[in-house]
Amino acid sequence: MAHTGNNSMHRSSSRPQLDLSKAEIQGNVEEKYPTILLPNQSHDISHLALDLGGSLIKLVYFSRHEDQSTSDKRIRNVKNRLDGNRRSYPILGGRLHFVKFETSKINECLDFIYSKQLHCGGDEPHYSDAMTDSNAIIKATGGGAYKFADLFKERLGLSLDKEDEMSCLVAGANFLLKAIRHEAFTHMEGHKEFVQIDPNDLFPYLLVNIGSGVSMIKVDGDGKFERVSGTNVGGGTYWGLGRLLTKCESFDELLELSQKGDNSSTDMLVGDIYGGMDYSKIGLSASTIASSFGKATSEKKGLEDYRPEDISLSLLRMISYNIAQISYLNALRFGLKRIFFGGFFIRGHAYTMDAISFAIHFWSKGDAQAMFLRHEGFLGALGAFMSYEKHGLDDLMVHQLVERFPMGAPCTGGKIHGPPLRDLNEKISWMDKFLQKGTEITAPVPMAPPGTTGLGGFDVPLSKGSTLRSDASALNVGVLHLVPTLEVFPLLADLKMYEPNTIDLSDHSELEYWLKILSEHLPDLVDKAVASEGGTDDAKRRGDAFARAFSAHLARLMEEPAAYGKLDLAKLLEMREECLREFHFVDAYISIKQRENEASLAVLPDLLMELDSLDEETRLLTLIEGVLAANIFDWGSRACVDLYHKGTIIEIYRMSRNKMQRPWRVDDFDAFKERMLGTGDKKPPLHRRALLFVDNAGADIVLGMLPLARELLRRGTEVVLVANSLPALNDVTAMELPDIVAEAAKHCDILRRAAESGGLLVDAMTNNLDSSKENSSSVPLMVVENGCGSPCIDLRQVSSELAAAAKDADLIILEGMGRALHTNLNARFRCDALKLAMVKNQRLAEKLIKGNIYDCICKFEPAS
Amino acid sequence: MDLRKGQIEPILDPNQSTYVYHLALDIGGSLAKVVYFTKDDDYFVDSEEGISNKKALEKSNGSRQYPVLNGRLNFKKFETSKINDCLEFINSMKLHFGGNQEQEIPGSQPIAVKATGGGAYKYADLFKERLGIILDKEDEMDCLVAGANFLLEVVHQEAFTYMGDQKQFVQIDQNDLYPYLLVNIGSGVGMIKVEGEGKFERVSGTSIGGGTFWGLGKLLTNCKSFDELLELSYRGNNRAVDMLVGDIYGGMDYSKIGLSSTAIASSFGKAISDNRDREDYKPEDIARSLLRMISNNIGQISYLNALRFGLKRIFFGGFFIRRHPFTMDTLSVAVNFWSKGEAKAMFLRHEGFLGAVGAFMSSDKHGLKELLANQVVQKAPSKLSFAVDKIIHGQPDGDESIECSVYAA
Repeated sequence: MAHTGNNSMHRSSSRPQLDLSKAEIQGNVEEKYPTILLPNQSHDISHLALDLGGSLIKLVYFSRHEDQSTSDKRIRNVKNRLDGNRRSYPILGGRLHFVKFETSKINECLDFIYSKQLHCGGDEPHYSDAMTDSNAIIKATGGGAYKFADLFKERLGLSLDKEDEMSCLVAGANFLLKAIRHEAFTHMEGHKEFVQIDPNDLFPYLLVNIGSGVSMIKVDGDGKFERVSGTNVGGGTYWGLGRLLTKCESFDELLELSQKGDNSSTDMLVGDIYGGMDYSKIGLSASTIASSFGKATSEKKGLEDYRPEDISLSLLRMISYNIAQISYLNALRFGLKRIFFGGFFIRGHAYTMDAISFAIHFWSKGDAQAMFLRHEGFLGALGAFMSYEKHGLDDLMVHQLVERFPMGAPCTGGKIHGPPLRDLNEKISWMDKFLQKGTEITAPVPMAPPGTTGLGGFDVPLSKGSTLRSDASALNVGVLHLVPTLEVFPLLADLKMYEPNTIDLSDHSELEYWLKILSEHLPDLVDKAVASEGGTDDAKRRGDAFARAFSAHLARLMEEPAAYGKLDLAKLLEMREECLREFHFVDAYISIKQRENEASLAVLPDLLMELDSLDEETRLLTLIEGVLAANIFDWGSRACVDLYHKGTIIEIYRMSRNKMQRPWRVDDFDAFKERMLGTGDKKPPLHRRALLFVDNAGADIVLGMLPLARELLRRGTEVVLVANSLPALNDVTAMELPDIVAEAAKHCDILRRAAESGGLLVDAMTNNLDSSKENSSSVPLMVVENGCGSPCIDLRQVSSELAAAAKDADLIILEGMGRALHTNLNARFRCDALKLAMVKNQRLAEKLIKGNIYDCICKFEPAS
Repeated sequence: MDLRKGQIEPILDPNQSTYVYHLALDIGGSLAKVVYFTKDDDYFVDSEEGISNKKALEKSNGSRQYPVLNGRLNFKKFETSKINDCLEFINSMKLHFGGNQEQEIPGSQPIAVKATGGGAYKYADLFKERLGIILDKEDEMDCLVAGANFLLEVVHQEAFTYMGDQKQFVQIDQNDLYPYLLVNIGSGVGMIKVEGEGKFERVSGTSIGGGTFWGLGKLLTNCKSFDELLELSYRGNNRAVDMLVGDIYGGMDYSKIGLSSTAIASSFGKAISDNRDREDYKPEDIARSLLRMISNNIGQISYLNALRFGLKRIFFGGFFIRRHPFTMDTLSVAVNFWSKGEAKAMFLRHEGFLGAVGAFMSSDKHGLKELLANQVVQKAPSKLSFAVDKIIHGQPDGDESIECSVYAA
């Protein structure tokens, strides 16, 4: 969906406006992200919604994060240049959190709300007194919205505004299916597969919500739905009968029991009736259940003679099959092609999902598929949130949401929320406690492929033995970061076909390999991170906690690769960076980056001189060689880290460049040269603007990409350096680039004038943006942030700044493994694109280019 | 109703000892059903009156046809777990010898008896060994359908509706019988679309059936028999265990979606209470709740399938129903609810014996069915209701019968 200007105008009118008057920065000014208090912000921005169900309370709350970019001179300049007349409304970025509690422990929920100050619309504890008596109104749904109304009033001064349960369910499901890329998945025989649903082809669908009872809702659009059917045989039946028949104390215990069950002792199977034979005439195999509990009629046996495990499994299958059957019949009746199952009964329980999927498959003879939602338990709460008149999520698009999994995620799994962690200290001690519980995480262990059921598909329950928790396959629900500034990169040739990742992590050997790589790299990373903060005790402690948390993530992913939704390498690498940030490691490689920048900048003048002595054609080749050679400096690559011990930067750079013998493994240099220089007398048109996606700090940017940028500038092409918004490994960030450019400009006139023209350098004499623009004798050199903090880039989610810069661009240069190999090697663009990288990983080289480590890629693709 | 003109078939040959057309079995997972034919003169029960009535009727009809055989179709059932009772019964009645004790010929070739149901396979050896009978297996569904078709076509007032204690017989026009949905509720449930004689397809089913009721019921209560459990359910109140719409909405209806406060939101949904155990619930209430859950579910799935195939009639048969009013009522209410009054559940008087009757019919390679079809007269209704009482009291000697004559042109 194109993000048109009209659209954003429309959005701005419906978006809650922040009242910034009397805003002040609160807290320690040294803090990286100080909280901006908005005392005059009225309560019309919603923060909290509840779904108070019979057994679980689900809570969705929104926490804002302030727009800090306005104070940044670079961004202000770029903004003025690129999108001066674009939006002027304050950007409401924030995070959507999903939390659940057991209804029987409603006090924990109340405490949580209180501790987060959610009842007074923000997270500033000291405002509580002033605001508790303001009688805030909170949207709530579920039966408990009635039952607990008085309690909320009394304890928190909150009035619960009851929203219709079904409207909420539907609103929640619609939102998730449209806004989250891989929200839906299928689950067959223990195998999970995420399904990408085209938001324009979502309706109509059948939503089956399995709570105590089951509701089946035909959804035709936003707010357009009808409850068409249902059944009273639902989760309550499972738990109710299960409780009467076993000694289970909880629903989860009952579910867990079913993992070890064998229903053939309680169910009458077709084989039991036909003496072990199939009733093949009507397609019933011997293991098909003819009669649930039909074998429990034996005279000689009482309840105590049956294993509770078997009873639980038998119940689970009976109820799951039945729900699936009735759902399918209703989908058929209304011609609905998709059936989504949600509700607390499922709870991410693999066997339940398998049972439902199997039954849908069985009854539809393979025509229909059951689908599940990752946020299944939160549909109602999310829908209640959406029912606020101004919830701020109106027109959110999939590219504006980034899901992140905080440090606790791997440990809590799909579990109920624990006590709120207020600060880093609590986080760290929580990690410690977690470790004491004996969940030691070491290097990845070899994984077995997911259990398959064999035997005709479904006859043996999926079981991974006694270690399996009932929620082992529970999907984690991360925090949804709403970043309204994210947009789809406008130069992608075909958004629908675009898949950034080149490595398929659903291939288990791949996953295992990459998890191992990350795991091996971890100690070095921790050393760097701790060193980056002077190796203090505090830094060490945080470093340890980070290592544990990230290892826990890896271990979790090893056990359940789909735990965090569809897994890909970009996500995995970003998770590591996020995890570092979570433990307040702002930039683990900062000192390394600085050292390398300095070293490289010192030799830059010599390099530029050398380049200037060459003729145009040789220079172009040398420049590309230089980019490829300089790309060897990469702290993300183990092989390269080893290299560093063998020489100085310039030695390695020269050695590397000398080895650059064409033809490279992928070598489109001639095509690129022809596009740039033409053949014979034919001079090709100049590129108007080039976007250079840069990779590492140090030699990579200084000796590789900057000289290339300089060449483009010299030829009269505007250059936009695109760099990370947040640090990732030793990647150069958009914040760091202006200083590097400024330093380089000291020795180079071309760069200086272009940087001045682009507002990166402000002429001391004419400290005026407009005049510098007019007086400029050069095309501008600009820097924009790409909107991410990962070594890879998903071009479906880039900063609005980059999207704006891309509008006039007709050349894209992607550099480095993360952005040109791990992701985007196969991406097609509407303009010329050059992908440059040195492959610094043997496996990747074999996989992607059938080559070897240190092979080079120079892939040029003219506009498509 | 006309006879096949000029069709003269030998009905039976008394000298052929293997010709045992008058016994058929349906051995299901929980019950074994026997249908056998007795000639009037070797039926040693009461009812001189019944016979004379019938004869009077024949005369008044002024029929040109004459019966070659007068007798009764008898229905008897046993619990499959007590299959020995069944064997003994057959043995004692000497039924396998054509009901003719004098003609037993030792060492003669084994006798073949038509049988259906899973037990026809499972107990084949037992019958062979104990009675020297070879069970000639007939397809279960063929039999069900043949049985239902036969009963619906030839027995007056076989079908009836049951709503709110009101039993109403439905006269079905034989020419407008098809297509219909036959829901056979045995241990499990089979749903069969019937389009004509021998034309049918199993379109659906569910594993939640009579076996589930009895199995779960047995685990949850101390009932000793299916009938005892059924009887218990009469006295129960499902409110104690089921979560009703009103329980969730504080006594209110969820009228927006048309659910009344007494609608069951979740079967057994109230049994999740932390501080109550199985002993704290009355077995009556549990039985009632189970029955409603299962009947309601079958009714719903049946209706959805009827809708899917555009079938206007749904006949419920099979042993689960046992003419138990509450079961029938729940099924009817479910069909009525889900169809918004457009469809009606119908029941068959001989619901438990469809398979056995079908097997019985299949045993006739000589056109017995057509012959029988010409007139089947019910015994007095008082007799039938008497049989129902017996069933309820758990003495499955339900020797109900259809008095009938076999005619030849």
